[in-house]
Amino acid sequence: MRHLTLLLFWMSAPLHAADVLHLYNWNNYISDETVTRFEHACQCRLVQDYYSDNEEMLAKLAAGASGYDLIVPTGNAVESLIKSGQLRPLDKRQLRHLENIDPAYLDTAFDPGNRYSVPYAYTITLIGYNEQKMRGLGIPTDSWAAIFEPKYLKKLKGRVTVLDSQRELMAAALKYLGYSANDTDEAHWRQARDLIIRAKPYWAAFNASSYIKELTVGNIWLAHGYSNDMFQAQQDARHAKRPFSIAYATPKEGAVLALDSMVLHKSGPRPDLAHRFIDFMLEGRNSAELTNLIGSGNPNRDAMQYIDPAIAANKAVFPTPDIQRRLEMLKDLDRTQRRVLSRMWTEIKVH
Amino acid sequence: MRKNSWWLWTAALAAYAFLYLPLLIVVLYSFNDSRLNAEWVGFTLHWYRELIHDTDMLVAARNSLLIAASASLIATVLGTLAGLAIHRYKLRILPVLAVTPVAMPEILLSVSLLLFFNLVFRPWLGLELGMWSVIVAHVTFCIGFVAIVVRVSLLGMDESVFEAARDLGATPWQTFRLVTFPLILPAVMAGALMAFALSLDDFVITFFTAGVGVSTLPLEIYSMIKIAVTPEVNAISTLLMLLTLGMIVLASRIHGKAFGSSGP
Repeated sequence: MRHLTLLLFWMSAPLHAADVLHLYNWNNYISDETVTRFEHACQCRLVQDYYSDNEEMLAKLAAGASGYDLIVPTGNAVESLIKSGQLRPLDKRQLRHLENIDPAYLDTAFDPGNRYSVPYAYTITLIGYNEQKMRGLGIPTDSWAAIFEPKYLKKLKGRVTVLDSQRELMAAALKYLGYSANDTDEAHWRQARDLIIRAKPYWAAFNASSYIKELTVGNIWLAHGYSNDMFQAQQDARHAKRPFSIAYATPKEGAVLALDSMVLHKSGPRPDLAHRFIDFMLEGRNSAELTNLIGSGNPNRDAMQYIDPAIAANKAVFPTPDIQRRLEMLKDLDRTQRRVLSRMWTEIKVH
Repeated sequence: MRKNSWWLWTAALAAYAFLYLPLLIVVLYSFNDSRLNAEWVGFTLHWYRELIHDTDMLVAARNSLLIAASASLIATVLGTLAGLAIHRYKLRILPVLAVTPVAMPEILLSVSLLLFFNLVFRPWLGLELGMWSVIVAHVTFCIGFVAIVVRVSLLGMDESVFEAARDLGATPWQTFRLVTFPLILPAVMAGALMAFALSLDDFVITFFTAGVGVSTLPLEIYSMIKIAVTPEVNAISTLLMLLTLGMIVLASRIHGKAFGSSGP
């Protein structure tokens, strides 16, 4: 028994250290080198907890969890955190590298004037595809038509997946119809619903997680999904030496952009370290490491010089100004709108 | 008769295959030289090497084991006492008290525990959520399981054994130590193993009650799902399976009865 106690002490010892910064982050959303370099620079330890979903993180905080210095939520989650008064305003005097951020990603609708948030990285919801198959079948890969038009889908029957997400799929349909992704006109929603119902028989599945694998293995030729995931699928296919390659593109009609930002939680005991971390991540070299790791979009202008040229040249991750104008961030719906959307989603699912 | 045993064998084999094939595949793919859990490419120990260098995963594994060990130990002691009390005192409220945490939906239990910790422990004792809160929460729902198992084993026992002990001059403590406890030991062991397993793979309650920086394996693996789970997860699962297997073998060595024919 005494040995056991000693063992417990020994095992729990590294849990206590003087300067610790607690980061509540997405899994695999910072490179190990960056962490090591930051810990060296600040002479502190960076401890991460992970979430896989904004709602999951919001639920945990709403239930009263505390002690997180920094969180990296997506746009609309930032908004709900601000509204519920859970964030600490930034002290911009401590953020010397803030000017590195492309103004296109500042002063967003969810945090006007960036009182609370600093952009970290973004993903675009787009289409990923099997290059050889799509070329062979003569299907355009620069438009949502590939996902929604029966004349193309006929050749792809059972080889297409779309995201299992009400907002994302509706947004894609709305964009294809020429509306805003945040359009809340019910007539437009009905049009989008009908478009989805018409295309649905050709789809293999509503899929939110395994399309990376399905694309890489070759079961699926076209998938509606997130740019980071498509990057992963592309890398996996290359490493597995598949006889085909995976590519991805932002449809010309426009798409949804999800911007993740760093924010300070009120309960965090170390705002000083948190500001240091934000400023550290604003340096191009550190920010670029994340993009090189997972292929995420980077709002940092100074980072471009450190980004792998192949990624930097990828129009799907770094869109042309023309496409960039057609990217939209999703805004939260109100109760009534949510109910209407849920009803339509049910209609889609049972059809 | 012969036909009967043929059927029995087939059914048994099918049942075992159903139970163990998935585990076997998990183990097999931990040696697969591909990031995808999709097809066999070639043998490698790469994922085990990755695992050794993955501090997040190792810390999570360490936390999981620490929590499971402490929670199952405490729950076994308290649960055994509860089981004995339920058996001895025919108070209707006792079984209800012990079993409620088992029957209550996990999400309810976890949110109420979190509120309780935040309302009582933080302001009054100055304790922040941490590993202790997870252990307390796990003990809460494990006690019921141990109590039920112990209670059931007591039900099948001949009361006259205990009466005989007392007739022969044993004090209540001696009766417990020399007669009751050895008789219920298989059930206590089974309860302890069950508590350990339940604690090890609990997600919902751990998610809510874990303090900052306290991650466990289920939390860690769940947060990886979005980016696709790598065979590293298979590797750590394989190691955990080995550990559990080792524990069962050890337990059966210490007390063969628990895993041999049951009953007194």
